[in-house]
Amino acid sequence: MDDFIAERRRQIAFDMLQHANLVFQCVLVATIVAIALAVLINRFKVLEPVANAVSAVGLTLPSFALVGLLLPLSGLGTTTAFLCVVFYAVLPVLRNAVVGLAGVDQTLLESARGMGMGPVGVLLKVQIPLAWPVILAGVRTSMQMSMGIAAIAAYVLGPGLGSYIWTGLVQTGGANALNYAVVGTVGIVIVALVADLLLLALGRLTISKGVRVA
Amino acid sequence: MSAETLETTTGPPDHERRTSPDEESAPADRGARGWLARKSVSRETVAMLVVPPVLVALAFIGFLVWRQTAELDSVEANQLKWSTLSRLLVDHLQLTVVAAVIVVAVSLPLGIALTRGRVKRAAPLVVGIANAGQAAPSVGLIVLLFLWLGGGFWTAIIGLSLYGILPVLRNTITGIQAVDPTLVEAARGVGMTSTETLRKIELPLAVPVIMAGIRTSLVLIAGTASLACFIDAGGLGEVLQTGISLFRFSLMITGALLIALLALLIEWIGRLLELAYRPKGV
Repeated sequence: MDDFIAERRRQIAFDMLQHANLVFQCVLVATIVAIALAVLINRFKVLEPVANAVSAVGLTLPSFALVGLLLPLSGLGTTTAFLCVVFYAVLPVLRNAVVGLAGVDQTLLESARGMGMGPVGVLLKVQIPLAWPVILAGVRTSMQMSMGIAAIAAYVLGPGLGSYIWTGLVQTGGANALNYAVVGTVGIVIVALVADLLLLALGRLTISKGVRVA
Repeated sequence: MSAETLETTTGPPDHERRTSPDEESAPADRGARGWLARKSVSRETVAMLVVPPVLVALAFIGFLVWRQTAELDSVEANQLKWSTLSRLLVDHLQLTVVAAVIVVAVSLPLGIALTRGRVKRAAPLVVGIANAGQAAPSVGLIVLLFLWLGGGFWTAIIGLSLYGILPVLRNTITGIQAVDPTLVEAARGVGMTSTETLRKIELPLAVPVIMAGIRTSLVLIAGTASLACFIDAGGLGEVLQTGISLFRFSLMITGALLIALLALLIEWIGRLLELAYRPKGV
């Protein structure tokens, strides 16, 4: 095992970064999309049950099935992996953003408007900062989920550490099969933990002092 | 109900719980008949009970029509034979049901034990370990078990059960802990033993949360069972796997569609169970 890692140190580090990179990009895109959708839903309440149903159904869909459905459209490789991870990453953030925005006290919105803020100002300076802790909790869920989904998407040649696991499976019986599978799995756990810590730190930095719980 | 799924899959920090919407506040749907009407059920819950099975049925009918009319070459025809598909479906169901039964049998007593007496202090530790375990990718877990134990049904079952334990365990603990302590005290005050209190007060009140955990777990297991084909344990993933390795769109779509429909159906059954087991007045 030590030799295996020592020999491939650069490659493993590179793939860890690739894994983290894929997930970060997907979660970033997903967060922006989800917040935009949540703002819409917050304005047109009729959409809320629809959004809830879509995310319930979406989270039920097994990721391997979605990979299969996307493959004819986007082919083998990074695009399919990206689309698949983004799809799942949107759902937890969306749900939390809807709940978070709905939880903002109406009187606060009214006073903000009374102070002369426009709709954009209210959104950026009042609603999103107040909902941010809840939204961020959704982002953490999203990030954790995406790590595993990216591993499955590696089956259709997506980037990252998932390929080590699949290589381990293909080489079953070979000398390095276990090494590959262990490095892939443990590597993803490490990337996931580091990412989670970074998000916690981000929370410390970005959650307004007034609404900080701990 | 849907906000529940998130809570069960994530172990939310407190501020998330604080703002979670009150799902039972919507007025009961008068149109619902029978036992549905007798339990106070929000319109959204009714919609989630009615719409998914209809969609699943429509999609499945669409698949049947396509399957009967499409021109398939020999490879496709072979993989899409009804006998093959039904065998894989049965595999998939067996994997899901057996793993789910094991999950409930293990995590329910474990969860209850972790809310009793002195063991209580270990609860955060156990949940923490389970949480960290959940960060491991499902494929990784399954492949590692395969390399360690060899392929087959029972290896898949071990992987699926390990993966499904967390939601039930966590919800059992949080469900029981969330019971109003004054109720427990009142029960003890009227002379109930601690076992009676558990059986008659704490468990019934915790049932909705526990059932939500079981549903989450069922969905996780049914989805992960689509990976069982990689370790010679069959299941509907096989159609998709074959489709990907031969690059046949018909097989890919069929496999993916059947896996997705089954998962939706299982989620729906979970919702029914959730409603059926909800005690009156909760």
